[in-house]
Amino acid sequence: MATQEKVDVAIVGAGPSGAIFADVLARAGKKVVVLEFGPDWDYKQFVSSEIWGRRIKHAPPFQSTGRNPSGHGSNAGWGTGGAMIHFFANWPRMAPVDFKVKSQYGKGLDWPISYDDLLPWFDRAADDIGVSGNAQAERRWYPVGKDYPMPPLKSFKQGDIFNEAFAKHGYPLAPMPVAINSTEYKGRPACVNCGWCHVGCASGAHGTPLVSHLRDARARGAQVRPFSYVTRVLTNQSGDRVTGVEYYDAKREQHVQPAGVVVLAAYAAETPRIMFNSATDRHPKGLANKNELVGKYLMCHTAANVWALFDEDVQNYMGTQANQFMSYEHYDNKTRPSKGFGSIFLRTGAAMKPNVGLASARPDLFGAPLADFMKRAARGLTRIGIFGEQMPLLENRVELASDKDEFGLPIARITHSYDADAIGSWEYGREEAFAIAKAANPKEVWRGGGPGTAHLIGGTIMGTDASNSVTNSYGQTHELANLYIAGAGLFPTEGSVNPTNTIMAVTLRGAEHMAKNFSTIAS
Amino acid sequence: MDNIGRRTFVRGATAGALAFTVGGVEVLLLPSEARAQKVPLKILSADEALRLEAVSETLVPGARDAGIAHFIDQQCSVPPHEALLGIRINNARPPFVNFYRAALNAIDTACQAQHGKPFAQLTAQEQTAFIGTMRVGKHPDWKGPPPQGAIYGAFRADAVDVVYGTVEGFEKLGVPYMALVAPKARW
Ligand SMILES: Cc1cc2nc3c(=O)[nH]c(=O)nc-3n(C[C@H](O)[C@H](O)[C@H](O)COP(=O)(O)OP(=O)(O)OC[C@H]3O[C@@H](n4cnc5c(N)ncnc54)[C@H](O)[C@@H]3O)c2cc1C
Ligand code: SF4
Repeated sequence: MATQEKVDVAIVGAGPSGAIFADVLARAGKKVVVLEFGPDWDYKQFVSSEIWGRRIKHAPPFQSTGRNPSGHGSNAGWGTGGAMIHFFANWPRMAPVDFKVKSQYGKGLDWPISYDDLLPWFDRAADDIGVSGNAQAERRWYPVGKDYPMPPLKSFKQGDIFNEAFAKHGYPLAPMPVAINSTEYKGRPACVNCGWCHVGCASGAHGTPLVSHLRDARARGAQVRPFSYVTRVLTNQSGDRVTGVEYYDAKREQHVQPAGVVVLAAYAAETPRIMFNSATDRHPKGLANKNELVGKYLMCHTAANVWALFDEDVQNYMGTQANQFMSYEHYDNKTRPSKGFGSIFLRTGAAMKPNVGLASARPDLFGAPLADFMKRAARGLTRIGIFGEQMPLLENRVELASDKDEFGLPIARITHSYDADAIGSWEYGREEAFAIAKAANPKEVWRGGGPGTAHLIGGTIMGTDASNSVTNSYGQTHELANLYIAGAGLFPTEGSVNPTNTIMAVTLRGAEHMAKNFSTIAS
Repeated sequence: MDNIGRRTFVRGATAGALAFTVGGVEVLLLPSEARAQKVPLKILSADEALRLEAVSETLVPGARDAGIAHFIDQQCSVPPHEALLGIRINNARPPFVNFYRAALNAIDTACQAQHGKPFAQLTAQEQTAFIGTMRVGKHPDWKGPPPQGAIYGAFRADAVDVVYGTVEGFEKLGVPYMALVAPKARW
């Protein structure tokens, strides 16, 4: 086992959460190492193909169970940039109501911070990665600080075709804010609407860590070590400080990386797993887990699609994987007697490629009927997507399985089920979208299956103190002052929107706080 | 279309090519070309390839000629983290060929029990009926794993990939490919 030279900060995971910590701390003059399980990607090499796109996806082995098992394998990131290198770039934000669900509705949990605490950080995230949108159109629903750096993307018929029907049904639309350049931005080109964002954008128009925080962190001296699989966080003998991490490199050789601070940014399944696997005599249930809350309150978004097939060409083969339009109308109204509990979020207008996009719209078809459908769908298919909210429940959790990985360490077991509230709002959202899609007069309209499990949130939640949470609002664990967690794992509730804008705002706030207080935090 | 007009649209058959070994030399071929040139299989036996083709062709017409057997064979022979198979993302543990072998065996066991012959020897009508029942997981006495629905989903997705996921596939559907980087490199 080789022991590396001590660094100020060791970061586990080079997705957006890890990249932000790396950038902010390197900018503050700290010696930073980022340990990343996957390869070091060069976005210019990303190949425009859904088959090839699988090359950039992977996750350490895991088990998934429960009534609605999480599709973690297709949510996890792998390699520099994390899942953001193939994300769809929708950039909505959690709304003010999402931060005080418990006090407003008596269900779920409250955050230890409010929307207003994050407002300046939403602006900073938009500047850092480049966001296109119309802030004014969103101000009807929540305060938006500065206008976005770029105007909205061009829209296509796949989204425009529903505009009137949404308005008639009481859901005014706004352009979806997207982490994609509608114009040239900070030396990166404008999007060409080719629709390959989900397999990695080779042009740099897609706002990912590879063209923002990670690139900048490296320029400021942060070292990124790909193919470094972190297995444990190490602690001192008295168990009150972390001292570094243990990892395996590409040749399966074991290393110790001593560090003044450790940041776990390995996503919501791997981060708790590493904490459990780091158990010692002083931390018999895993690190920062005296209150047994590590791994708990896991959440997914209920995902649904309503599909609509038109005779006309809806230009579905071009545009972006990001949606063109969204609506937060009725978002604040989480209570719907007998129709579940939680917000719903409607989105529409996105590009679709044949082998994943079109074929997945009718998973029941095969043989000649599938061939016929593919022909008609190639230019005529579009959809409305719906995310629904799930409340944090103790029984939805990550724990260790008895199965081991190749190094003999227990893998993560993810247990996830939706309760009646989540199922009710999923059904409600789907019916609302169905009525809207039908009103646009397509030749055929149908409800997709589900509920799907999009994103993985919670598991290491933040809160006011150790009685209710694993970390404080900056991601600093209550038990170990120099162990931080970054990412959606910190969220006590999830709203019903894509998480990454809120992840970035929370992470920027935590990283800047660490940089300011570094001398009191680090070992 | 103005934005797109500025892009180079990929034409020809390079997009979707994989590395196959022909006469000891690694060449880039589409799975369909590998099949047409009778490139030797690395992992699947000739019999397994025929059985895989029969199921895949029933799921997605054109899968046989598009080279489904060569595609699966080649993808099962690369290092697991490089494999482009949907089952890798869906948390299957390598070696991936085990999944395909177990699936083909389960299908033929059920066919033998019901029809007294393997899937590849059923009539087209019988094959369609068999897959329809497998889709909804209703074959009695199924000798999985894998479960019936998982095989349906995975085999269908692979077949859709080779028939529709290439430049040729897009052309067949009459939609532009619009690659930023065409898949010419070794995958
Ligand atoms: C298909 C898809 C579409 C999406 N679309 C959107 C969207 O439109 N809008 C949106 O807001 N969000 C979207 N997301 C979600 C978004 O990608 C994530 O929220 C975001 O990437 C999370 O960032 P992260 O840094 O916390 O985690 P990740 O991006 O998952 O990064 C974690 C990193 O940690 C590494 N790691 C894991 N374990 C270890 C270990 N043991 N040792 C070392 N490294 C490790 C991983 O390899 C990975 O690179 C999408 C995700 C997917 C998969
Ligand atoms: S649509 Fe735009 S962001 Fe997406 S891959 Fe193409 S150029 Fe990149």
